[in-house]
Amino acid sequence: MRAIPFLALTVFATVHAANLQLPTWKEDERKAFDEAGGVLRSFILADEPEPEPETTLDVEKPKADEVMNDPLRSSEIPEKFLTAYFAEKPTEFLVDPQGLLGPKDYKDRLAFLSYHAGDSSIDFFVYVFGGEQEIPGEVRAEETVERLFTTGRPAVVVFYFLGAPQRSAIHLSPSLTETVSAADQRRALQSSVMSAFEKLNTTDQLDAFSVQMSIRIYWMERMLGGGASPEEVPVMSHRPVGKKMKAPSTLDLWKEQTVIWVDRWWGGAALVAGAGLLVSAFVVWMRSRVRFRFPDLEVEPRLGGAHAAGVGAVISFASAALPPASQKDQVPDYLRRA
Amino acid sequence: MKCPRCVQRIHRAAQSCPHCGFSLADADANFGSEEVTLRSLTDAAGLLRRGGRRKVEAAMEEIGRRFPQIFVAVYTGPLGEVANIRQFGFWLLNRAAFEDVPMAKPNEAGILFTIDPESKAAGVTFGYLLDPYLDESDTFECLSRAHSHWLDGRYADGLVKAIHHLGGILAKRSRQARRDPEKFERKVLPPPQMGDLVRRIRSGHRVPEEQPVAEEVEK
Repeated sequence: MRAIPFLALTVFATVHAANLQLPTWKEDERKAFDEAGGVLRSFILADEPEPEPETTLDVEKPKADEVMNDPLRSSEIPEKFLTAYFAEKPTEFLVDPQGLLGPKDYKDRLAFLSYHAGDSSIDFFVYVFGGEQEIPGEVRAEETVERLFTTGRPAVVVFYFLGAPQRSAIHLSPSLTETVSAADQRRALQSSVMSAFEKLNTTDQLDAFSVQMSIRIYWMERMLGGGASPEEVPVMSHRPVGKKMKAPSTLDLWKEQTVIWVDRWWGGAALVAGAGLLVSAFVVWMRSRVRFRFPDLEVEPRLGGAHAAGVGAVISFASAALPPASQKDQVPDYLRRA
Repeated sequence: MKCPRCVQRIHRAAQSCPHCGFSLADADANFGSEEVTLRSLTDAAGLLRRGGRRKVEAAMEEIGRRFPQIFVAVYTGPLGEVANIRQFGFWLLNRAAFEDVPMAKPNEAGILFTIDPESKAAGVTFGYLLDPYLDESDTFECLSRAHSHWLDGRYADGLVKAIHHLGGILAKRSRQARRDPEKFERKVLPPPQMGDLVRRIRSGHRVPEEQPVAEEVEK
């Protein structure tokens, strides 16, 4: 019974469809269709008119020397900066002699890298280059890093290309190359690049890249300390460093150290404490059960006393001005009153 | 060993003080020659409250438990104008019959704390059993522990402190006596006679008999 309305509706729709007429070509549309080579163009399918072609702006094209001097476009690093980049070990964790980052951005990024250095045993250096720039062939990056970072703390050095994080390269100081495998380095770089690509702004990209690499360096540090490296470390979403991340206080560090210590040693410490308590309880119990005895020596009675003649000390507590120390010499008739 | 009256040193087995002639008969003349029946904690001066009294009794029992031969007694009371706390302690430990102390613990094994709240003085007297093991400085240390409490009128706290400290000293002496009993035996030997002295001097000039044997062994 329930199917009857549906059957009726189906029959009605079929009859109505048979009465509908198919669309027919208009002459001008047919002509345009043929001119287009049989491809339906948008003016036929869309109601809106075809947009007008863009008018070219009359802007003067940049000159060749300007292109050369713009570090973001230029493919070469000006020779005057090569010394600043590769001559000696940098004094700051962020190396940007070309000034590709604005002063505030530079300061923020440097603050984060400095904070990382304070929190980690592995330093993190970032060399900033333009997105199109190429490191000169005579500068062999690995050798340079090895030469510059032989001494000092272990370091991770990243050559970062602004706006092109996928071109970034990671190099490790000699003290780390043996312990951190190439696969781990590659994974660290890939996850950092992925993190950077979540952002559109070049500065934000560098920010996200640095944060993720810092996390990866933490895991490298764990590996150095004997801990296992996780297969997958979640890519952290980018957070502005200067606003939300602040250096931990001494109390936080102390708490963190305590937690680590407890995690590492709580079993042994609990065992030792328990054993100590047991031993202490046993000692107290034993001491409470100890009975002291004195050899009964024959003492001849004195002064006619049958039981005692052992006259000990006498002390006066009449005045605080008369302390026990001043009463030690028990003089004859010391407390006898007239 | 000192005389309770003149506090001069007296030799072992002196029937009366060689300096002042004091003996128990003199004390009896002051305090009476009859036995006095009392409890080991007699607070005649009413210095102890109920809680304090309980604490003092607990400390006394602790000594009795740890040292099965020994008991501690406490007497508080005014001694009057002419009384001497040393003489009173000496007399009381000889004339008292402590009704709550087992018969197995005679007064020779007793340590008596006496407190006179009027003269604000306290003293310690001990029986012959402890004669070799305690001396005046030990008892002085015990009383010193109580001094600050008694200054504030906290008699029970002072007594507990003094008794606890006494327990420590007694335990130490007991261990020493077990390790080196001769040291304490020497303290109670009868005084040397003149003949003994001469014999010792003469023996000092003789060659000991063991010495030649020892020399032979060395050769």
